[in-house]
Amino acid sequence: MASSSPPRNPPSGLTDRSGSFFKLIDTFASEIGELKREMVQTPLTVDKEPMDLQGLEGEVCGVYLQSPSCAGLGGERDSGYDSLRRRMSVLDRLTQTHPVWLLLAVSEEEATRILLKQPPGVFLVRKSAALQRKILSVRLKEDQSGSPISHLPVRESQYTFSLEDSGISFADLLRLVAFYCISRDVLPSTLKLPEAIASAKTQKELEDVAQLGAGFWDSALCSQRRTSPRACRPLSRTLSPQRSNRNREVEWSQQKHAGAHCDSAPPTLRSCATPPSFRLERRHSSGPLCFVTPLFLQTHHRHHRFEDGLPTHAVKSAEDPENEGKSSLKLLSSSPGSEQHADKVKLNGKSRTPPPRPPPPRSMPRRRPAPPPPGPPAATTRPKSMPVAVAASTRPPPSSTKRQAPARPSMGAKQGSPSKTASSPIPVPSNPPPPRPKKPDLEAHRCHIALDDETIAKALSRAKLPTCQPSSADALLEDNAGSPSTPKERGRQRLSDMSMSTSSSDSLEYSQSPGFSLGLAPSPSRHLNHQDTVEDSSDDDEDVDEDDEDYGVSLETDLEMRHRPSFKARRRRVGVSLGGGPFILPRALKGRFRKVSGMLSSLMTPERRAVKRIAEMSRDKSSYFGSLVQDYISFVQENRGCHTSGMDFLQTLRQFMTQMKAYLRQSSELDPPLESLIPEDQIDQVLEKAMHKCVLKPLKSVIEVALNDFQVKSGALQQLKENLALAKAKRPQELGVDGAVPPDPLAIEKIRHKFLNMRKMYSPEKKVSLLLRVCKLIYTIMQDNSGRMYGADDFLPMLTYVLAQCDMPTLDTEIQYMMELLDPSLLQGEGGYYLTSAYGAMALIKNFQEEQAARVLSSEARNTLHQWHRRRTTPRSAPTVDDFQNYLRVALQEVDTGCTAKTLIVQPYTTTEEVCSLCAYKFKIPDPEAYALFLVIEDTSQQLAPDTHPQRIKAELHSRPCAHTFHFVYRRIPNLNLFLPGIMDNANCIHVE
Amino acid sequence: MAIRELKVCLLGDTGVGKSSIVCRFVQDHFDHNISPTIGASFLTKTVPSGNELHKFLIWDTAGQERFHSLAPMYYRGSAAAVIVYDITKLDSFQTLKKWVKELKEHGPEDIVVAIAGNKNDLGDIREVPMKEAKEFAESIAAIFIETSARNAVNVEELFQKISKQIPPLENPEDDVSDSFKLSRQPAPSTRRCC
Repeated sequence: MASSSPPRNPPSGLTDRSGSFFKLIDTFASEIGELKREMVQTPLTVDKEPMDLQGLEGEVCGVYLQSPSCAGLGGERDSGYDSLRRRMSVLDRLTQTHPVWLLLAVSEEEATRILLKQPPGVFLVRKSAALQRKILSVRLKEDQSGSPISHLPVRESQYTFSLEDSGISFADLLRLVAFYCISRDVLPSTLKLPEAIASAKTQKELEDVAQLGAGFWDSALCSQRRTSPRACRPLSRTLSPQRSNRNREVEWSQQKHAGAHCDSAPPTLRSCATPPSFRLERRHSSGPLCFVTPLFLQTHHRHHRFEDGLPTHAVKSAEDPENEGKSSLKLLSSSPGSEQHADKVKLNGKSRTPPPRPPPPRSMPRRRPAPPPPGPPAATTRPKSMPVAVAASTRPPPSSTKRQAPARPSMGAKQGSPSKTASSPIPVPSNPPPPRPKKPDLEAHRCHIALDDETIAKALSRAKLPTCQPSSADALLEDNAGSPSTPKERGRQRLSDMSMSTSSSDSLEYSQSPGFSLGLAPSPSRHLNHQDTVEDSSDDDEDVDEDDEDYGVSLETDLEMRHRPSFKARRRRVGVSLGGGPFILPRALKGRFRKVSGMLSSLMTPERRAVKRIAEMSRDKSSYFGSLVQDYISFVQENRGCHTSGMDFLQTLRQFMTQMKAYLRQSSELDPPLESLIPEDQIDQVLEKAMHKCVLKPLKSVIEVALNDFQVKSGALQQLKENLALAKAKRPQELGVDGAVPPDPLAIEKIRHKFLNMRKMYSPEKKVSLLLRVCKLIYTIMQDNSGRMYGADDFLPMLTYVLAQCDMPTLDTEIQYMMELLDPSLLQGEGGYYLTSAYGAMALIKNFQEEQAARVLSSEARNTLHQWHRRRTTPRSAPTVDDFQNYLRVALQEVDTGCTAKTLIVQPYTTTEEVCSLCAYKFKIPDPEAYALFLVIEDTSQQLAPDTHPQRIKAELHSRPCAHTFHFVYRRIPNLNLFLPGIMDNANCIHVE
Repeated sequence: MAIRELKVCLLGDTGVGKSSIVCRFVQDHFDHNISPTIGASFLTKTVPSGNELHKFLIWDTAGQERFHSLAPMYYRGSAAAVIVYDITKLDSFQTLKKWVKELKEHGPEDIVVAIAGNKNDLGDIREVPMKEAKEFAESIAAIFIETSARNAVNVEELFQKISKQIPPLENPEDDVSDSFKLSRQPAPSTRRCC
C-alpha cells in the first residue's frame, strides 16, 4: 500500500545526478541572486546563501514532496493535492480573512489575551496608539523565556512595509505577513495561520471565518479547530489518508478525462502522472529553477516539516468537492485500512499541535490562487487562463500559447514550482547587492518588488515548455503501462503542477480577484487610451509623462500584447540554448527579465492597484460606494443647471470627493482595507487620486461645458475676452514688469502649448503640475537673462504679462477648476502658491480696465478667500456621505417608448408618494394617478406603497449580503383595481410579472 | 519627529528685500533632501523647533501697489507674516503700518507677525530709527528684528523667533486623534459578505 510503504527517498533521484545537478543549482543560484539584487532594496546577510545551497537537497524534497512523513499518509496528501485547497495561497487566505488578524483597534492587552490561547506562531496585526504604528503581535513558543507574546513594530516607509530590524520590505502588509508565514527572517519562528484559516477548503469557509472578525478568536470555530482538528476536518482528513489504488485509479481516470476535455491543450497537458524516472530527467533540465525557493525559504521548510507534521490536509477539489468527498468517504468506510489510518492520523495530530500548514510552494505570497489541479479541476481552471491566450494578438501554437500548458506537464510542474516560489517572496533576502546601477526612483523599485517575481515565474515557466513536451508523452505511456505511482510521487507532481500553473496564470490574477482586476477595467481603459493618444501626440516634450496614471492603464493592455511575442521569441531561443547547455539559459533569461520588469515597472504599484480597485468599485453599482458615485455622476450629468455658479458647482464636486474619501476610509467595502496595502501617510493621496479617476474623469466634459455656460451666461466671458485683448496689447512695463526680460514669442507659443495640454487633463493635480512647469519656464527665461533670483515682485508681473500674451480665455475656467478641485491639503504648498498667483494674475487681467480693478477685484478676491476658508474647514464638520445618498435613479418605463431614466434628489424621508409626484413632474406624465413606483429585483417587481421610503429601501437592499441588481421603475399600473389604497397601506403589493 | 508645515507670508514694499531675506534664509544651509522649488517666490525650509520640525512654506508677495488687492489670497491661512521694510526708506515703513492694519482686520486670527527692518548694513543712510520701529512692534505685540540679507545678519534669528512664537501643536493633535478614530472604525464587524 502506498500509504504504508516507507517514504520513498525523494532525493534519491537527485543524488544520482547530483554532479550536474548541483552545477545547475550553482548557476541558477547565482543568476537568481543577481536578479534579486536588482529587485530588492535591502541586502540581507551574505552568509545565508551558502547555507541555502547546502540545504538544497533537503529543500528540494521539501518543495516537491512536502515531507517524507507525508508519504506515510500518502492518501491524505494525495487528496490534498487535487483539492481546492492549494488553490488558495497563504496570501489569498490572508487577504480573505483580514478581518480576523488585521485588528487595528485591538489593544496590546487584548492582543495578548487572544494570542495566549493560541499555538506558537499565531499572530495578529494591531495598531499601537502610543507609537502610532502597526504592530505584529506573535505568540511565541512556551519554552522561550520572557514574554509569551512578541510585539514587533511594522515600519512603513514611503512605499513599503517592513518589520523593524528586518531588511526585507514589502509592497504591502499582506505580503509581509504572507512572507513571514513562510520565512521567519527576524522572527523566532514563522508565523502560523489559525487552523480554521489554514485548513479552510473553500472560499465559503474563509468567508465564514472572516465574518466573525475579531470574534473569531473567541469563537468555537477557532478553538474547535485547534483542539480537535480531526473532528473539524472530516472530509479532508478522513478521506484522504487511506487512498487506495482504486481510489487513485479513479482519480487518474478523472484526470484523463479532464485531459480529454481540453482538446486544444497541448499533449503535455494530459500526462498528469509522470513516472519517477521521468521526473528525474525533467528535474535535470529544469531543476535549477526549483532552487530558487530554497534561497528564500532557507531551512524553514524542513523546520516546518518536523515541527508541524504534514502541511496539507486533504482538500477537495473546488469544483466538485461533494463528489469527491462522497467517493472517498465510501472508500474510507469500506477500506480495511481505515482504522490504521485513523490511528496514524491521531498520532500525527498529537505530534503537531499546530495545525498543518500549507505546503511551502502554495504558501508563497502570491495573490493568484488557482493552480490547475491535475484532475477535473483542471478544466475549471482553464477558462481562467484562456482569455489571456485569446487576448494575445498573435496566437502561437496551442502548446506554447496555452498558459496552462506548463501546468500540466508533470515534470514541468516540478520545475515550475520552484520557479514560482522563487519569484514569489517579494523581498529577496540573500546576498549583498553588488553595486549595480540602480534605478534611482523609488517607485520603479517598488514595482520590482511587487512584480518581478511574477514576471520571472512566468518567464521561467514558459521557458520550460519545450522540454516538457517530449517527455510528457513518455510519461503518459509509462503511466498507462500501469506502474502505479506512489502517492508521494503524485504529490510531487501535482505540487509542481500547481506551481506552474500559478505562475503561468499570473497575469490573470487580477482579473480573478475583483479587487485587483485588470480584466474589469478594459472598457474604461480603452476609452482612456484613446484620450491619451490624443494627448501624447500633441505633447511636445516632457509633458508626455504628465498623465502617467492613465498612461499606465493603457500600457497594461499594450503589455499583454507586447509581452506575448517576446515570450515566444525567448522560448524558442531558450529551447535551443537548453540543448546546448544549461548555462546559457539563465543568461538569456536574465536580460529579458530586466527588460520586462522595466517595462512593467510603471504598473501595478500598490498605489496603482489601490486606485484601480477603487475606480472599479466606483463603477460597480452593486457596491454601496459604486452606487453613490454612479448616482452622483448621473445626477450631475442631468442636473448641471441647478447650481448658481461655476464655483458653487465645483465646490459641490469637491465636497463630494472629500466625503467619499472619508467614506472609503471608514467603510469596510474596500477589501482588504487600504491600510494593509498603503502606508498610512499615503492613504489620503491614494484616495484623492482615486476620486479624480472615478468622479472627475467621467464628469470632465460635463464640468467643462457647465463652467463655460456659467461664464457665458454671466457675461464674464465677454468681459474677459475684451480685457484680455486690452492687456495683450500692453508692453511688459505697463503690467509692472521691471527689469526682467520677458519671454519671446517662441517661448509664449511653447507656454500656450502647455496650457492646451493642461486642458486635456482631468486631474487637478496634474493640471497644477503643468502650471508649475509653465512657471518654471518663465523663471528660467528671466534668470537666463540676468542671472539673479527673482521673487514675487518680479515674477507676478511677468506671469501676468505671459498670461495676457497667451490670450486664452479658457484659462480662466482652468484655474477655477484647479483652485476648487485641488486637494485642499495641497493649497498651502508650491502648487497652491502658483495657482494663487495665476488666479491673481488672471483676476488682474479680467479687471484690466482700471476703474473696475481696485474695487471689484478686491471684493472678489475676498469672496474667493472666504470660500477657500470655508472649504478647508467644512470637510471635518460635514455630515459625511449622507448628503450624497440622496440620489435615486428612477426609470420611466413606457410600453411603447421603452425606458428613460432620471436621477432625482430624494431624501431618506421622502415617501414613495412624493417620489411619484416628482416623477410625474420630471417625466411630464399627464395622468400620474395611473402610475406608480415599482421596485424591480431581477425578475420580480413590486409596487411600492405610498408611505414607504424608497431611499431606505435602497439602503436596505444594499446592505443585504447578496446584492441583486434592482431598479426603481416608474410606470403605469397594470390593473388599477388590484391596488386599492387599503391593500397598499399594509405592505408592498407584490405581483410577479 | 513630526513635521509641521507652516505657511509664512512675506509682505512689504517692492524693493525692500523680501525675497533676499528668504533666499538668504533658505540657501545658507541648503538642505539637499528637500526638493528645490521652481523659483524664489515660493521657498521652503525646515528647521527644528523644540520637539517638532517646522517646515516653513514661505509665500512671497508682489509689493507693487497694483497687486495689493491680491494680498489676502496670500496671507490667508498663514501661521505667520513677515512684514519687511527698508530702514533706509521711510515710505516702506509707512507701508508696513498699512499691512499691520490690514492683517489685524482681515488676517487670520492668531497670526504671528514679525517686523523685519532690512538693509541694516546701510545704517549710515538710515531713515527709520530703530527705536521707533521697535516701539511700534511692541505696541502690536509683534516680533521685531533688524536684518541684513546681504550680510546674513539676523536672518536665521528672525525665523527662529517666529518658530518660538508658533503655539505648540494643539489643533493638529486633534487632527491626529481624529484620524486615528477614523482608522479604527473600519472594524471588521461590518464587513459584508458580498
